[in-house]
This record gives sequence, C-alpha cells and structure tokens, in this order.
Amino acid sequence: MAKESFDKEIQFLRMLVLTRGAFNRQQFAKRLGISVHTFDKTIRRLKEVAKALHPQLPQEQDRELTETLRFSSYDSADPLLLFLFRAKSVKESESQRISLLLAAMNEQALTARELLELCCSSLSSGLPLPDEKTIRSDLKYLEEVGVIIREPGPRPYRYRIQDDLVSSLTDDELIDLYDFVDVMANTQVPSVQGYLLRDGLKKRLLRKEAEPTAVEPFLYKYHYHSRILDEAHLFTLLQAIRCRRRVHFLYFSPKTEKSYASRNTNPLFERETEGKVHRTLPLKVVYDHQYGRWYLLSHGREGIRKYRMEGITQIEEDESVDEAWYEEKQSELAEKIKYSWLVDTGRPVTVRARFYNPEGQEPNFVRDRVLLQGQWGQITAEEEHSFIYEITVNGTTEIKPWLRSFGSSCEVLEPLKLRREMIAEWKEIHAYYESV
Amino acid sequence: MNLFEKIFNYQILSRLEDSGAFMVTSHERTWLKTMLEHPAAADAFTADTLAKLHAALGQDQRMDTSLHLLERARSRQPQVYHPLLRPLRRYIMDKAGIRITYEVKNGRVYEEQSGLPFRLEYSMVKQEWYLLWYHTRHRALMSTRLKNIHAAAPEALDPAAADRMLSRLGTSLEARKREVCIEIVRSYNEELSRILYSFSSFEKQVEYDAENDTYRVRVTLNGDEMEYLLSKLRFLGKRVRVTEGDYLKRRMLESSAKALERYGASAREEDIPSSQHEAVSAAKIQ
Repeated sequence: MAKESFDKEIQFLRMLVLTRGAFNRQQFAKRLGISVHTFDKTIRRLKEVAKALHPQLPQEQDRELTETLRFSSYDSADPLLLFLFRAKSVKESESQRISLLLAAMNEQALTARELLELCCSSLSSGLPLPDEKTIRSDLKYLEEVGVIIREPGPRPYRYRIQDDLVSSLTDDELIDLYDFVDVMANTQVPSVQGYLLRDGLKKRLLRKEAEPTAVEPFLYKYHYHSRILDEAHLFTLLQAIRCRRRVHFLYFSPKTEKSYASRNTNPLFERETEGKVHRTLPLKVVYDHQYGRWYLLSHGREGIRKYRMEGITQIEEDESVDEAWYEEKQSELAEKIKYSWLVDTGRPVTVRARFYNPEGQEPNFVRDRVLLQGQWGQITAEEEHSFIYEITVNGTTEIKPWLRSFGSSCEVLEPLKLRREMIAEWKEIHAYYESV
Repeated sequence: MNLFEKIFNYQILSRLEDSGAFMVTSHERTWLKTMLEHPAAADAFTADTLAKLHAALGQDQRMDTSLHLLERARSRQPQVYHPLLRPLRRYIMDKAGIRITYEVKNGRVYEEQSGLPFRLEYSMVKQEWYLLWYHTRHRALMSTRLKNIHAAAPEALDPAAADRMLSRLGTSLEARKREVCIEIVRSYNEELSRILYSFSSFEKQVEYDAENDTYRVRVTLNGDEMEYLLSKLRFLGKRVRVTEGDYLKRRMLESSAKALERYGASAREEDIPSSQHEAVSAAKIQ
C-alpha cells in the first residue's frame, strides 16, 4: 500500500476553516483541484472521525462539517482540528486487537503467549484470529511508540502499559499536570503532541471528576486555529534539517487559486498540475505569531528560498549534503535573517517612529504594546506626550502593518519613503469611510 | 517523529476508553519533558510533583526543535503562568464562591467582593491572565487581571445559586454579541489567504459573491473585543473595508483623519505639504 498522505485532508480543513461558508461543493472542489466525488468522500471520512471523537457535537446526518467545526470561544478550548491527527487508517481487526491488548496490559504485565490466548478468546467473531507472530509485531510497535514497556526479568518477557507518568501522581497532582499541558499546548509551539496528551489527561480527569468544569477552566484569546494543521509537515522538515537532507515537494504558492492536486497513480491520466516541484535544502522553520503561519527557509539553486508551509504537499526526503557546505549555508542564512521582522531578506533599513501616549490614561497601553511586540527595537527617546522607537529591519514591508495597527498613535519619521506610503494609505482608508 | 501514527487512530482511542487504560506515547512524553524546562513549570507544580514528573520522564528524550525553529513577531512573554491559577481553577471546578479584593485601572481598590469565578482567560495579545467572574451584588460579568487581584479566598455558595448565576452569565454573554461585516477590497483578492488568516481567530462566516468576485467576512464578537478587531483592521489597512458596523466605521474614519493630522497631511490633497519635510528633519536632530 502506498504511504498514506494527508495532504488532501490538510488542504481541505484549512480551506474549510479559513473560508467557512463561502463556497458550495462545486466551487470548493474546483479550488482544491479535486472532483466533487472526492470532495464528498473526504467530507464523509472527516465527519466520521470528528463524530467518533466529539460525540457531544451536533449529530444530524445532513449537518455541514463547517457547523461541526464551529469555534465558540466560551464553550470549549478544545482544538477541534486535532482530529486530523487521529485520521490515520487502521484495519478494523487491527484496531480491535490493539485496543484489546492495551486494555489487558493495563491490568497486569503479560507475555506474548498470554496475550495471544486472550485475543483468541475475546475478539469478536467474524474477525480473523491473530497468530503469535502478529501479536509479537504489535508488541514491537507498541514498545517503539513508547506506549508499553518490557518488564525486567528472564524470558518469556512480560509487557505492561507505560503509564508511570500518571500512575505516580495523586488526583490533585493530575489536575496540575492537565493544566500545565493545556497552558503550554495553547501558548507554545509545537503544540500537537501537547494537545494529544491533553486529550488523554482530559479523559482521565473526567473519569474521576464527573463535572465538566474540571477540564475547561481556561480560555485562550485569540488563537489561529489552523496553525496546528501546518505542524503536520513540521517534523518531516525538522528531521530533514537534522540529517542535512534535501527534500522535494509539490508547491502551490498561496497566491494561486488551486491549493491541491490529486496524485494520479496511473501515468496515462497524468495531468499538468499547477503546482511546481521544488527541490531544496531545508535550513530553518519559522513560525510567524503575527498571522499564525509557518515558513520554510531553505537553500535552492537560486540561493535562499522561502516557502509558506501551507503550500507544501507531497513532501519527500532526498539525499544528504556535505556537512561543511551545509554549515556554510546555515551561517549565510543566519546573517541574512538577522534583521527580518518575519522572513524578509531585503536590505536592512532603520525605521524610526514616534508613538503618542494615550491622553490622561494609566497604564500607557501604547508603550506597553510597543515593548511587548516591538521585537529587538529600542525606545531611544521619551518625552511628555510621546516617545521615539527605532529598529533596524530588512525592508519595511513586514513591519508596516504592525506600525499601521497603532492607528494615529504612531507616526513614521524615517525612512521618508515609508512615511509617504503611510500617508497615502491613510488617505485611501479615509476615503473608504468619508461618506459615513 | 510522525504525527500520523496509527496509535493515535480514533477507533483505537474510542475502543480503549471503556478500559480506563491511560495511553501515552513517547512523542507526548518528549514534548512534556521539553516544556518542563520552561520557567512556567516552577509556578505550575509543587516541587514534589515536579520531581515525580522528572523521574517518570527520566528515560525520554528532549525535543531539539528550538535549534531549528525560529519564532518571529512573538511578544515577549512575561507571564505564562500566574500563582493564582492553581487556587482559582480549583474554585471554578468546585463551583465555589469567592471573596475577592482587586484593583481597577485608576488604582482604586475594591475590598472583599463576593462572586462566582467562571473562567480563566489568557490574552494571547496582552500575554496576561484574566479572571472572568460574576459579581453577585452588581449582577455583572467582570474581567479582572490576575495581577490586579490582591486576594481571593473561597466562600460557601449554594449550588443552586451558582447554577443560576452561571445561566445568567450565559445570557449576558450572548447579549453582548455583535455582528459586523468586512469586505475584502477586490483588487486585493490575491492576498485572500493572508487576509483570511488574520481573521481566523474570530468566530466568522465568509460569503463569496461569485458575480462580483468579492469576499465578505461576517465576524461575530463581543462588544469588548472591538478594540482588537480595530487593530486588525488597521493592520490590514486598505485591503479591507467595513461594510456593516457603524461603530467600527466611525472609529476607522477617526483613526485615519487623526493619523493624517499627525502627518500634517490633508485627506484630500495628493501632495505632501512641505511642512511635513520640516517635521522629519526636526525629528532627525533630536
């Protein structure tokens, strides 16, 4: 069987979250570059997973998936898109067997032979009975992913579930652990493993405390919900960086309308896709807190390349490169992005801006925000009603929206070009609302 | 590390639920071990619990993501945890009342007020924790920064009264909801993805008008969230235009008029007046 790819599901969910409600089936399918039939199949599959995991959600058959994925910040801090990572397909017989094995090893440490006997007597009829080899390979897998552990002692080996993390804690300590995982998964990156762990701890807590107030004391404002979808590629890229390997992928620039192309296995039906295959050497991954987006910075034939993670599909690892050469490319990049507000590698310029303090108000929220979000910039002068902020950045494109977000509390002084652009933009914005 | 492991499969998970087994992979332990190195861990656990966790994770690896992952445009994070989180979350869980002494903006202190804690809210923008609570006497939803709380102690509260307050809170939250409509200026449709990303943190509905190739975003939000939406609108600048929502429209007009005033520019003239160049050179001298 070909390696299961989740590119389609990722693109699909991202588009669903971003453009909720905007398109009908045909429009949606067209934009994803898939057939309406594939669209329907994908939505059915995702619905099935979502329903199994969130039985409390609306269950009507014809309910749109978009409805299922509604985010109401006061109801729940559950990251609903997490279900993507639960979508790996597993055969019915295998999922029954594995859950049976784990449940058995939860109560006591058992040998492969004992587990085989247990399986043969408890698996539902109609399913093929496993042999010892299957059980051994299950155990090997479960040990590899760290879910079970082999007890010390002579053969035959005994295995038990590895739950020391929670079994050593009191109920009260378990609450502290749940809270910590919840807070860190919601405020730090990467987060997917944290959310998965949070899921497990949540079930455990609910088993002990019947009240839902036990598991949802926290809210987070404001989240970029789709950011966890992009973490799907993160570990593949980090692994490639670690091994100094090139990768290739089919890239769809976010500016093109289509964002996915089906992979045709039959060459006779191969179509021209709009995406382009890129071969490149990953150097760094960047998370942009401003928009909640991920970037890949790499070295390609034309020098430093920047890719938006959301445009990357069908990613595969290639050969590794020479260590010394790799180090050279790393330091070239480090030099280039030293002054990037986000990822711009343009020429460094010094931006100076005057920020005006709010009138008669304490605390000074303008100054607080500049200090909080102004990255490596410095306040170089303070006066009674205003202060001067100075920063060296690569190009002005990326810092501009941030400066503009302060409205009339920020006046760009230098460079003059940026100052002029700001004036022109404010004029346009003014014209939008003039007739109000 | 592969995030699409079959062990995470939803069928395995739901089958396992009845057995009460706790399944945790090395992926998750590795993540936790890495996070425990964050200074927040010291506030989140007692020293005893922390020692137990370190012992349980002894055999696991640490993530090396920080070597290869850069975070940009991130706020400095002065507060990830607050010492009051632990007691307050327990009062919320127990639906206990609280007696709270807190300070407001102008420095005035309110002593020993009774109420019901509802949620702890983290503002990703301000990087600070807030307590959302119901003020018994004022019958109002309050939002108080944890750093402004001088003292908070549990207070006995009749469970039926607590339920009544919670339902009143629900109604008042619902009543605060407003809907506004923002149009993406058509010539910026190419930047659709970026624009939608910046609205993705709101509860919203997108409309596409195929005939005019125009997108509109309907955002539902609480009245007190308008300031944040405004900063997003200014952030996006001329790419978007508010089409429904008088308050937002008026504020955008004010903002732009006042900004132009600061620059010494008139809203109508195309050229920049010469006085502005003087302002720049004056600024240089300082």
